[in-house]
Amino acid sequence: MDKIDIGHHISQRYNQELEEIRNQVLAMGGLVEQQLNNALQAYSNRDAAMAEQVIKDDYQVNALEVAIDEECTQVLARRQPAAGDLRLIVSVIKTITDLERIGDETGKVAKMTTALAESGNNSEQGIEIEHLGNRVRQILHDALDAFARTDVDAALKVAQEDIKVDREYESLMRQLITYMMEDPRTIRRSLDLMWTIRALERIGDHSRNICEYVIYLVKGRDVRHISLEQMEEEAGKR
Amino acid sequence: MSDSQVKTHGVNIEALGRNRQQKSSGDEECSLEVKNLKLFYGEKQALNGIDMHISKKRVTAFIGPSGCGKSTLLRCFNRMNDLVDGARVEGAILLEGENIYDKSVSAVELRRRIGMVFQKPNPFPKSIYENVAYGLRLQGIKDRRILDESVEKSLKGSALWDEVKDRLHDSALGLSGGQQQRLVIARAIAVEPEVLLLDEPASALDPISTLKIEELIYELKNDYTIVIVTHNMQQAARVSDYTAFMYMGDMIEFADTDTLFTNPRQKQTEDYITGRYG
Repeated sequence: MDKIDIGHHISQRYNQELEEIRNQVLAMGGLVEQQLNNALQAYSNRDAAMAEQVIKDDYQVNALEVAIDEECTQVLARRQPAAGDLRLIVSVIKTITDLERIGDETGKVAKMTTALAESGNNSEQGIEIEHLGNRVRQILHDALDAFARTDVDAALKVAQEDIKVDREYESLMRQLITYMMEDPRTIRRSLDLMWTIRALERIGDHSRNICEYVIYLVKGRDVRHISLEQMEEEAGKR
Repeated sequence: MSDSQVKTHGVNIEALGRNRQQKSSGDEECSLEVKNLKLFYGEKQALNGIDMHISKKRVTAFIGPSGCGKSTLLRCFNRMNDLVDGARVEGAILLEGENIYDKSVSAVELRRRIGMVFQKPNPFPKSIYENVAYGLRLQGIKDRRILDESVEKSLKGSALWDEVKDRLHDSALGLSGGQQQRLVIARAIAVEPEVLLLDEPASALDPISTLKIEELIYELKNDYTIVIVTHNMQQAARVSDYTAFMYMGDMIEFADTDTLFTNPRQKQTEDYITGRYG
Protein backbone atom coordinates (compact mmCIF):
# COMPACT_ATOMS: atom_id res chain seq x y z
CA MET A 1 0.00 0.00 0.00
CA ASP A 2 2.77 2.37 -0.88
CA LYS A 3 0.43 4.31 -3.06
CA ILE A 4 -1.51 7.00 -1.28
CA ASP A 5 -4.88 7.24 -2.90
CA ILE A 6 -7.04 10.12 -1.86
CA GLY A 7 -9.84 9.34 -4.30
CA HIS A 8 -12.24 6.41 -4.54
CA HIS A 9 -14.20 7.19 -1.42
CA ILE A 10 -17.81 6.14 -1.52
CA SER A 11 -18.47 9.75 -0.59
CA GLN A 12 -17.50 11.94 -3.54
CA ARG A 13 -17.50 14.97 -1.31
CA TYR A 14 -14.90 13.38 0.93
CA ASN A 15 -12.66 12.93 -2.12
CA GLN A 16 -13.16 16.59 -2.94
CA GLU A 17 -12.41 17.73 0.59
CA LEU A 18 -9.12 15.82 0.73
CA GLU A 19 -8.17 16.92 -2.78
CA GLU A 20 -8.91 20.51 -1.83
CA ILE A 21 -6.71 20.27 1.28
CA ARG A 22 -3.89 18.71 -0.71
CA ASN A 23 -4.11 21.42 -3.37
CA GLN A 24 -4.03 24.12 -0.75
CA VAL A 25 -0.89 22.62 0.80
CA LEU A 26 0.74 22.55 -2.62
CA ALA A 27 -0.29 26.17 -3.18
CA MET A 28 1.13 27.11 0.22
CA GLY A 29 4.34 25.26 -0.64
CA GLY A 30 4.57 27.09 -3.95
CA LEU A 31 4.06 30.41 -2.23
CA VAL A 32 6.73 29.71 0.39
CA GLU A 33 9.13 28.61 -2.33
CA GLN A 34 8.46 31.82 -4.24
CA GLN A 35 9.03 33.85 -1.10
CA LEU A 36 12.39 32.16 -0.52
CA ASN A 37 13.42 32.72 -4.13
CA ASN A 38 12.51 36.39 -3.86
CA ALA A 39 14.31 36.80 -0.55
CA LEU A 40 17.48 35.23 -1.96
CA GLN A 41 17.29 37.32 -5.10
CA ALA A 42 16.72 40.46 -3.04
CA TYR A 43 19.76 39.52 -0.96
CA SER A 44 21.98 39.02 -4.02
CA ASN A 45 20.91 42.33 -5.53
CA ARG A 46 20.77 44.19 -2.21
CA ASP A 47 17.24 45.08 -3.30
CA ALA A 48 15.56 46.58 -0.25
CA ALA A 49 12.23 47.11 -1.99
CA MET A 50 12.00 43.48 -2.98
CA ALA A 51 12.98 42.38 0.49
CA GLU A 52 10.26 44.60 1.95
CA GLN A 53 7.74 42.97 -0.35
CA VAL A 54 8.78 39.50 0.89
CA ILE A 55 8.21 40.61 4.47
CA LYS A 56 4.83 42.08 3.55
CA ASP A 57 3.67 38.98 1.69
CA ASP A 58 4.30 36.66 4.62
CA TYR A 59 0.71 37.29 5.73
CA GLN A 60 -0.44 35.16 2.78
CA VAL A 61 1.52 32.18 4.09
CA ASN A 62 0.02 32.68 7.52
CA ALA A 63 -3.50 32.97 6.10
CA LEU A 64 -3.08 29.70 4.21
CA GLU A 65 -1.85 27.97 7.35
CA VAL A 66 -4.93 29.05 9.27
CA ALA A 67 -7.28 28.11 6.43
CA ILE A 68 -5.78 24.64 5.93
CA ASP A 69 -5.79 23.97 9.68
CA GLU A 70 -9.47 24.87 9.74
CA GLU A 71 -10.26 22.49 6.88
CA CYS A 72 -8.33 19.68 8.55
CA THR A 73 -10.24 20.25 11.79
CA GLN A 74 -13.49 20.02 9.83
CA VAL A 75 -12.49 16.73 8.25
CA LEU A 76 -11.45 15.32 11.63
CA ALA A 77 -14.77 16.35 13.17
CA ARG A 78 -17.02 15.31 10.31
CA ARG A 79 -15.32 12.32 8.76
CA GLN A 80 -13.32 10.67 11.54
CA PRO A 81 -10.66 9.70 9.01
CA ALA A 82 -8.83 6.40 9.44
CA ALA A 83 -5.69 4.76 8.09
CA GLY A 84 -4.23 6.58 5.03
CA ASP A 85 -6.77 9.40 5.26
CA LEU A 86 -5.92 9.95 8.92
CA ARG A 87 -2.21 9.95 8.17
CA LEU A 88 -2.79 12.44 5.36
CA ILE A 89 -4.59 14.86 7.67
CA VAL A 90 -2.01 14.48 10.43
CA SER A 91 0.89 14.99 8.04
CA VAL A 92 -0.79 18.00 6.45
CA ILE A 93 -1.35 19.65 9.82
CA LYS A 94 2.33 19.16 10.61
CA THR A 95 3.61 20.07 7.16
CA ILE A 96 1.89 23.44 7.13
CA THR A 97 3.37 24.30 10.53
CA ASP A 98 6.82 23.78 9.06
CA LEU A 99 5.90 25.70 5.91
CA GLU A 100 4.76 28.62 8.01
CA ARG A 101 8.06 28.55 9.92
CA ILE A 102 9.94 28.49 6.61
CA GLY A 103 7.95 31.60 5.75
CA ASP A 104 9.14 33.21 8.98
CA GLU A 105 12.78 32.26 8.35
CA THR A 106 12.48 33.67 4.85
CA GLY A 107 11.26 36.89 6.42
CA LYS A 108 14.43 36.96 8.53
CA VAL A 109 16.60 36.67 5.42
CA ALA A 110 14.65 39.52 3.84
CA LYS A 111 14.95 41.65 6.96
CA MET A 112 18.71 41.22 6.98
CA THR A 113 18.75 42.30 3.35
CA THR A 114 17.00 45.56 4.14
CA ALA A 115 19.48 46.17 6.96
CA LEU A 116 22.39 45.44 4.65
CA ALA A 117 21.02 47.70 1.92
CA GLU A 118 20.60 50.53 4.43
CA SER A 119 24.13 50.21 5.81
CA GLY A 120 25.42 50.30 2.24
CA ASN A 121 27.99 47.69 3.16
CA ASN A 122 28.43 45.43 0.20
CA SER A 123 31.53 43.54 1.18
CA GLU A 124 30.99 39.79 1.09
CA GLN A 125 33.95 38.93 3.27
CA GLY A 126 34.28 35.88 1.11
CA ILE A 127 31.19 34.40 2.68
CA GLU A 128 29.26 32.40 0.13
CA ILE A 129 25.69 32.82 1.26
CA GLU A 130 24.35 32.34 -2.25
CA HIS A 131 25.72 28.84 -2.40
CA LEU A 132 24.01 27.85 0.83
CA GLY A 133 20.89 29.68 -0.33
CA ASN A 134 20.73 27.71 -3.56
CA ARG A 135 21.23 24.45 -1.75
CA VAL A 136 18.42 25.26 0.66
CA ARG A 137 16.19 26.43 -2.17
CA GLN A 138 16.73 23.11 -3.89
CA ILE A 139 15.94 20.96 -0.87
CA LEU A 140 12.78 22.93 -0.14
CA HIS A 141 11.79 22.35 -3.74
CA ASP A 142 12.58 18.63 -3.48
CA ALA A 143 10.72 18.33 -0.18
CA LEU A 144 7.60 19.87 -1.70
CA ASP A 145 8.00 17.62 -4.70
CA ALA A 146 8.27 14.57 -2.44
CA PHE A 147 5.08 15.67 -0.72
CA ALA A 148 3.26 16.28 -4.00
CA ARG A 149 4.22 12.88 -5.35
CA THR A 150 4.18 11.11 -1.94
CA ASP A 151 7.59 9.80 -2.92
CA VAL A 152 9.49 8.11 -0.08
CA ASP A 153 12.78 7.84 -1.99
CA ALA A 154 12.72 11.54 -2.84
CA ALA A 155 11.94 12.28 0.82
CA LEU A 156 14.95 10.25 1.96
CA LYS A 157 17.15 12.11 -0.48
CA VAL A 158 16.14 15.42 1.06
CA ALA A 159 17.13 14.12 4.49
CA GLN A 160 20.54 13.21 3.06
CA GLU A 161 20.89 16.62 1.43
CA ASP A 162 19.98 18.39 4.65
CA ILE A 163 23.11 16.92 6.23
CA LYS A 164 25.13 18.75 3.57
CA VAL A 165 23.32 21.97 4.44
CA ASP A 166 24.21 21.45 8.10
CA ARG A 167 27.87 20.91 7.20
CA GLU A 168 28.00 23.99 5.05
CA TYR A 169 26.37 25.97 7.83
CA GLU A 170 28.99 24.76 10.31
CA SER A 171 31.78 25.69 7.96
CA LEU A 172 30.38 29.19 7.34
CA MET A 173 30.03 29.67 11.09
CA ARG A 174 33.65 28.77 11.62
CA GLN A 175 34.69 31.26 8.95
CA LEU A 176 32.63 34.00 10.54
CA ILE A 177 34.10 33.30 13.96
CA THR A 178 37.56 33.56 12.45
CA TYR A 179 36.73 36.93 10.88
CA MET A 180 35.36 38.25 14.12
CA MET A 181 38.45 37.20 16.03
CA GLU A 182 40.76 38.66 13.44
CA ASP A 183 38.99 41.97 13.14
CA PRO A 184 36.47 43.00 15.79
CA ARG A 185 35.15 45.74 13.49
CA THR A 186 33.45 43.01 11.44
CA ILE A 187 31.46 41.70 14.40
CA ARG A 188 28.29 43.59 13.67
CA ARG A 189 28.28 42.62 10.02
CA SER A 190 29.27 39.04 10.84
CA LEU A 191 26.42 38.74 13.30
CA ASP A 192 23.97 39.84 10.60
CA LEU A 193 25.39 37.22 8.26
CA MET A 194 25.21 34.67 11.04
CA TRP A 195 21.49 35.25 11.50
CA THR A 196 20.97 34.89 7.78
CA ILE A 197 22.79 31.61 7.37
CA ARG A 198 21.13 30.40 10.55
CA ALA A 199 17.73 31.13 8.98
CA LEU A 200 18.74 29.24 5.83
CA GLU A 201 19.94 26.27 7.85
CA ARG A 202 16.61 26.20 9.70
CA ILE A 203 14.76 26.13 6.38
CA GLY A 204 16.75 23.00 5.58
CA ASP A 205 15.62 21.43 8.88
CA HIS A 206 11.98 22.29 8.23
CA SER A 207 12.25 20.79 4.74
CA ARG A 208 13.60 17.63 6.27
CA ASN A 209 10.68 17.60 8.71
CA ILE A 210 8.25 17.77 5.81
CA CYS A 211 9.96 14.75 4.30
CA GLU A 212 9.59 12.87 7.58
CA TYR A 213 5.84 13.48 7.37
CA VAL A 214 5.87 12.18 3.80
CA ILE A 215 7.41 8.94 5.04
CA TYR A 216 4.83 8.78 7.84
CA LEU A 217 2.07 9.41 5.32
CA VAL A 218 3.16 6.68 2.95
CA LYS A 219 4.65 4.09 5.30
CA GLY A 220 2.90 4.78 8.58
CA ARG A 221 6.33 4.93 10.23
CA ASP A 222 7.34 7.74 12.53
CA VAL A 223 10.89 8.63 11.52
CA ARG A 224 11.41 11.76 13.59
CA HIS A 225 14.41 12.11 15.87
CA ILE A 226 16.33 9.14 14.54
CA SER A 227 19.52 8.83 12.53
CA LEU A 228 19.51 8.82 8.75
CA GLU A 229 20.44 5.12 8.73
CA GLN A 230 17.54 4.25 11.01
CA MET A 231 15.30 6.44 8.88
CA GLU A 232 16.27 4.56 5.73
CA GLU A 233 15.69 1.26 7.46
CA GLU A 234 12.25 2.31 8.70
CA ALA A 235 11.26 3.70 5.32
CA GLY A 236 12.31 0.45 3.67
CA LYS A 237 9.94 -1.54 5.86
CA ARG A 238 6.47 -2.13 4.66
CA MET B 1 15.77 10.58 41.47
CA SER B 2 19.18 11.82 40.43
CA ASP B 3 19.76 15.48 39.60
CA SER B 4 20.29 14.78 35.95
CA GLN B 5 16.77 13.45 35.53
CA VAL B 6 14.10 15.85 34.44
CA LYS B 7 10.73 16.00 36.11
CA THR B 8 8.30 14.04 34.00
CA HIS B 9 5.18 14.45 36.11
CA GLY B 10 4.77 10.73 36.47
CA VAL B 11 5.06 10.07 32.76
CA ASN B 12 7.32 7.17 31.97
CA ILE B 13 9.22 8.63 29.03
CA GLU B 14 10.92 5.35 28.25
CA ALA B 15 7.58 3.66 27.67
CA LEU B 16 6.38 6.24 25.17
CA GLY B 17 6.16 6.27 21.42
CA ARG B 18 8.57 4.18 19.46
CA ASN B 19 9.73 2.31 22.52
CA ARG B 20 6.24 1.14 23.28
CA GLN B 21 5.87 -2.55 22.77
CA GLN B 22 3.57 -3.33 19.93
CA LYS B 23 0.79 -5.46 21.23
CA SER B 24 0.48 -8.86 19.77
CA SER B 25 -2.30 -11.22 20.65
CA GLY B 26 0.21 -14.04 20.35
CA ASP B 27 2.00 -12.92 23.52
CA GLU B 28 -1.08 -12.82 25.69
CA GLU B 29 -2.90 -15.53 27.49
CA CYS B 30 -5.28 -17.09 25.06
CA SER B 31 -8.93 -17.59 25.95
CA LEU B 32 -10.28 -18.91 22.69
CA GLU B 33 -8.32 -20.45 19.89
CA VAL B 34 -9.95 -20.85 16.50
CA LYS B 35 -8.43 -23.52 14.30
CA ASN B 36 -9.20 -23.73 10.60
CA LEU B 37 -12.87 -23.10 11.27
CA LYS B 38 -15.20 -23.63 8.33
CA LEU B 39 -18.93 -23.19 8.41
CA PHE B 40 -21.43 -24.19 5.79
CA TYR B 41 -25.06 -23.19 5.51
CA GLY B 42 -26.16 -26.13 3.37
CA GLU B 43 -24.08 -25.87 0.20
CA LYS B 44 -22.94 -22.33 0.86
CA GLN B 45 -19.67 -21.86 2.73
CA ALA B 46 -19.88 -18.89 5.11
CA LEU B 47 -16.48 -19.18 6.83
CA ASN B 48 -13.43 -20.22 4.84
CA GLY B 49 -11.05 -21.64 7.39
CA ILE B 50 -10.54 -19.08 10.13
CA ASP B 51 -7.50 -19.21 12.44
CA MET B 52 -7.18 -16.80 15.32
CA HIS B 53 -6.44 -16.30 18.99
CA ILE B 54 -8.78 -14.39 21.27
CA SER B 55 -6.83 -12.95 24.18
CA LYS B 56 -8.04 -13.32 27.73
CA LYS B 57 -9.57 -10.25 29.38
CA ARG B 58 -9.20 -8.21 26.25
CA VAL B 59 -11.77 -6.81 23.85
CA THR B 60 -11.64 -8.23 20.35
CA ALA B 61 -13.80 -6.60 17.71
CA PHE B 62 -14.98 -8.09 14.41
CA ILE B 63 -15.69 -5.62 11.65
CA GLY B 64 -16.62 -6.06 8.02
CA PRO B 65 -19.44 -5.46 5.57
CA SER B 66 -22.80 -7.20 5.90
CA GLY B 67 -22.62 -10.88 5.07
CA CYS B 68 -18.86 -11.13 5.66
CA GLY B 69 -19.33 -13.80 8.32
CA LYS B 70 -18.53 -11.82 11.45
CA SER B 71 -21.79 -12.63 13.24
CA THR B 72 -21.58 -16.21 12.02
CA LEU B 73 -18.12 -16.50 13.54
CA LEU B 74 -19.30 -14.93 16.80
CA ARG B 75 -22.16 -17.43 16.99
CA CYS B 76 -19.70 -20.27 16.57
CA PHE B 77 -18.16 -19.38 19.93
CA ASN B 78 -21.20 -20.56 21.86
CA ARG B 79 -22.53 -22.95 19.28
CA MET B 80 -25.53 -20.84 18.42
CA ASN B 81 -25.19 -22.15 14.88
CA ASP B 82 -26.22 -25.58 16.22
CA LEU B 83 -29.72 -24.15 16.23
CA VAL B 84 -29.61 -23.23 12.53
CA ASP B 85 -30.95 -25.91 10.18
CA GLY B 86 -28.38 -27.10 7.69
CA ALA B 87 -25.45 -25.37 9.39
CA ARG B 88 -22.34 -27.53 9.56
CA VAL B 89 -19.07 -26.71 11.29
CA GLU B 90 -15.58 -28.04 10.54
CA GLY B 91 -12.40 -27.28 12.43
CA ALA B 92 -12.19 -26.49 16.11
CA ILE B 93 -12.62 -23.75 18.69
CA LEU B 94 -10.66 -24.34 21.86
CA LEU B 95 -11.89 -22.74 25.07
CA GLU B 96 -9.05 -22.98 27.56
CA GLY B 97 -7.64 -25.78 25.41
CA GLU B 98 -10.84 -27.80 25.13
CA ASN B 99 -12.66 -28.11 21.81
CA ILE B 100 -16.16 -26.74 22.31
CA TYR B 101 -17.37 -28.83 19.37
CA ASP B 102 -16.28 -32.02 21.12
CA LYS B 103 -19.18 -34.40 21.67
CA SER B 104 -18.50 -34.47 25.40
CA VAL B 105 -19.15 -30.73 25.74
CA SER B 106 -22.68 -29.77 26.72
CA ALA B 107 -24.01 -26.77 24.82
CA VAL B 108 -25.90 -25.62 27.91
CA GLU B 109 -22.78 -25.63 30.09
CA LEU B 110 -20.83 -23.98 27.24
CA ARG B 111 -23.35 -21.14 27.02
CA ARG B 112 -23.00 -20.56 30.74
CA ARG B 113 -19.27 -20.12 30.26
CA ILE B 114 -19.70 -18.04 27.12
CA GLY B 115 -22.55 -15.55 27.45
CA MET B 116 -24.11 -13.63 24.62
CA VAL B 117 -25.88 -10.32 24.19
CA PHE B 118 -27.77 -9.46 21.02
CA GLN B 119 -28.46 -6.35 19.01
CA LYS B 120 -31.99 -5.92 20.26
CA PRO B 121 -32.36 -6.05 24.03
CA ASN B 122 -34.44 -9.08 24.90
CA PRO B 123 -35.48 -8.87 28.55
CA PHE B 124 -37.95 -11.49 29.73
CA PRO B 125 -41.43 -10.21 30.62
CA LYS B 126 -40.56 -10.44 34.29
CA SER B 127 -39.28 -8.09 36.97
CA ILE B 128 -35.82 -6.57 36.76
CA TYR B 129 -34.78 -8.77 39.67
CA GLU B 130 -36.08 -11.98 38.11
CA ASN B 131 -34.41 -11.20 34.80
CA VAL B 132 -31.02 -11.09 36.44
CA ALA B 133 -31.69 -14.01 38.77
CA TYR B 134 -33.00 -16.15 35.92
CA GLY B 135 -29.80 -17.98 35.10
CA LEU B 136 -29.07 -18.68 38.74
CA ARG B 137 -32.55 -20.06 39.33
CA LEU B 138 -32.01 -22.36 36.33
CA GLN B 139 -28.94 -23.62 38.11
CA GLY B 140 -31.20 -24.45 41.05
CA ILE B 141 -30.04 -21.71 43.40
CA LYS B 142 -32.89 -20.79 45.73
CA ASP B 143 -31.08 -19.12 48.63
CA ARG B 144 -32.54 -15.63 48.73
CA ARG B 145 -29.35 -14.15 50.16
CA ILE B 146 -27.18 -15.56 47.38
CA LEU B 147 -29.68 -14.39 44.76
CA ASP B 148 -29.88 -10.87 46.25
CA GLU B 149 -26.13 -10.58 46.34
CA SER B 150 -25.69 -11.80 42.81
CA VAL B 151 -28.42 -9.53 41.42
CA GLU B 152 -26.86 -6.50 43.08
CA LYS B 153 -23.36 -7.44 41.97
CA SER B 154 -24.44 -8.05 38.38
CA LEU B 155 -26.47 -4.86 38.14
CA LYS B 156 -23.54 -2.91 39.56
CA GLY B 157 -21.27 -4.69 37.09
CA SER B 158 -23.44 -3.56 34.22
CA ALA B 159 -23.67 0.01 35.58
CA LEU B 160 -27.44 -0.20 36.02
CA TRP B 161 -27.76 -0.60 39.79
CA ASP B 162 -28.11 3.07 40.69
CA GLU B 163 -30.87 3.53 38.15
CA VAL B 164 -33.00 0.53 39.19
CA LYS B 165 -32.18 -0.27 42.82
CA ASP B 166 -35.46 1.26 44.04
CA ARG B 167 -37.63 -0.61 41.57
CA LEU B 168 -36.10 -4.05 41.30
CA HIS B 169 -39.50 -5.69 41.25
CA ASP B 170 -40.95 -3.50 38.50
CA SER B 171 -41.27 -5.02 35.07
CA ALA B 172 -38.08 -4.99 32.98
CA LEU B 173 -40.14 -3.96 29.99
CA GLY B 174 -40.58 -0.50 31.53
CA LEU B 175 -36.87 0.25 31.14
CA SER B 176 -35.50 2.30 28.28
CA GLY B 177 -33.70 0.55 25.43
CA GLY B 178 -30.28 1.41 26.80
CA GLN B 179 -31.25 0.25 30.29
CA GLN B 180 -32.73 -2.95 28.87
CA GLN B 181 -29.47 -3.65 27.09
CA ARG B 182 -27.50 -3.16 30.29
CA LEU B 183 -30.04 -5.38 32.08
CA VAL B 184 -29.41 -8.11 29.52
CA ILE B 185 -25.68 -7.72 30.10
CA ALA B 186 -26.33 -8.04 33.86
CA ARG B 187 -28.29 -11.21 33.16
CA ALA B 188 -25.40 -12.54 31.10
CA ILE B 189 -22.75 -11.83 33.74
CA ALA B 190 -24.89 -13.09 36.67
CA VAL B 191 -23.89 -16.66 35.84
CA GLU B 192 -20.22 -15.60 35.88
CA PRO B 193 -19.20 -16.55 32.37
CA GLU B 194 -15.60 -16.40 31.13
CA VAL B 195 -16.38 -14.87 27.77
CA LEU B 196 -19.01 -12.35 26.69
CA LEU B 197 -20.10 -12.26 23.08
CA LEU B 198 -21.70 -8.99 22.05
CA ASP B 199 -23.47 -8.91 18.70
CA GLU B 200 -24.03 -5.27 17.74
CA PRO B 201 -24.85 -4.45 21.37
CA ALA B 202 -25.33 -0.73 20.82
CA SER B 203 -26.65 -0.42 17.29
CA ALA B 204 -30.26 0.00 18.42
CA LEU B 205 -29.36 2.58 21.07
CA ASP B 206 -29.08 6.37 21.14
CA PRO B 207 -25.61 7.95 21.37
CA ILE B 208 -25.66 8.42 25.15
CA SER B 209 -26.74 4.84 25.84
CA THR B 210 -24.15 3.73 23.31
CA LEU B 211 -21.41 5.53 25.22
CA LYS B 212 -22.63 3.93 28.47
CA ILE B 213 -22.40 0.50 26.88
CA GLU B 214 -18.91 1.30 25.57
CA GLU B 215 -17.86 2.49 29.00
CA LEU B 216 -19.29 -0.70 30.44
CA ILE B 217 -17.32 -2.82 27.97
CA TYR B 218 -14.18 -1.07 29.14
CA GLU B 219 -15.03 -1.98 32.76
CA LEU B 220 -16.08 -5.52 31.96
CA LYS B 221 -12.79 -6.48 30.38
CA ASN B 222 -11.23 -6.49 33.83
CA ASP B 223 -13.16 -9.69 34.47
CA TYR B 224 -14.20 -11.09 31.11
CA THR B 225 -12.91 -11.84 27.68
CA ILE B 226 -15.07 -9.84 25.30
CA VAL B 227 -15.75 -10.40 21.64
CA ILE B 228 -17.84 -7.76 19.92
CA VAL B 229 -19.32 -7.53 16.45
CA THR B 230 -20.05 -4.01 15.32
CA HIS B 231 -20.88 -2.12 12.15
CA ASN B 232 -19.68 1.05 13.78
CA MET B 233 -15.99 1.24 13.03
CA GLN B 234 -15.38 4.13 15.37
CA GLN B 235 -16.92 2.03 18.09
CA ALA B 236 -14.57 -0.84 17.33
CA ALA B 237 -11.69 1.66 17.35
CA ARG B 238 -12.79 3.04 20.72
CA VAL B 239 -13.56 -0.10 22.68
CA SER B 240 -11.35 -2.86 21.37
CA ASP B 241 -7.77 -3.96 21.94
CA TYR B 242 -7.71 -6.13 18.83
CA THR B 243 -9.68 -5.84 15.65
CA ALA B 244 -10.36 -8.44 12.98
CA PHE B 245 -11.48 -7.35 9.55
CA MET B 246 -13.52 -9.98 7.73
CA TYR B 247 -14.65 -10.10 4.14
CA MET B 248 -16.57 -12.80 2.29
CA GLY B 249 -15.96 -15.41 4.96
CA ASP B 250 -12.22 -14.75 5.21
CA MET B 251 -10.28 -13.09 7.95
CA ILE B 252 -8.44 -10.49 5.92
CA GLU B 253 -6.52 -8.84 8.73
CA PHE B 254 -6.28 -9.30 12.46
CA ALA B 255 -4.13 -6.85 14.39
CA ASP B 256 -4.01 -4.68 17.45
CA THR B 257 -6.58 -1.93 17.08
CA ASP B 258 -4.04 0.91 17.10
CA THR B 259 -2.30 -0.51 14.07
CA LEU B 260 -5.36 -1.60 12.18
CA PHE B 261 -6.94 1.84 12.25
CA THR B 262 -3.82 3.88 11.51
CA ASN B 263 -1.71 1.66 9.33
CA PRO B 264 -3.47 -1.46 8.09
CA ARG B 265 -1.42 -3.95 6.10
CA GLN B 266 -4.06 -5.00 3.60
CA LYS B 267 -5.55 -2.77 0.95
CA GLN B 268 -8.99 -4.33 1.50
CA THR B 269 -8.86 -3.29 5.15
CA GLU B 270 -7.77 0.22 4.23
CA ASP B 271 -10.56 0.55 1.67
CA TYR B 272 -13.17 -0.63 4.16
CA ILE B 273 -12.18 1.50 7.14
CA THR B 274 -11.68 4.63 5.05
CA GLY B 275 -15.00 4.19 3.24
CA ARG B 276 -13.67 3.42 -0.22
CA TYR B 277 -14.92 1.04 -2.82
CA GLY B 278 -12.26 -1.55 -3.59
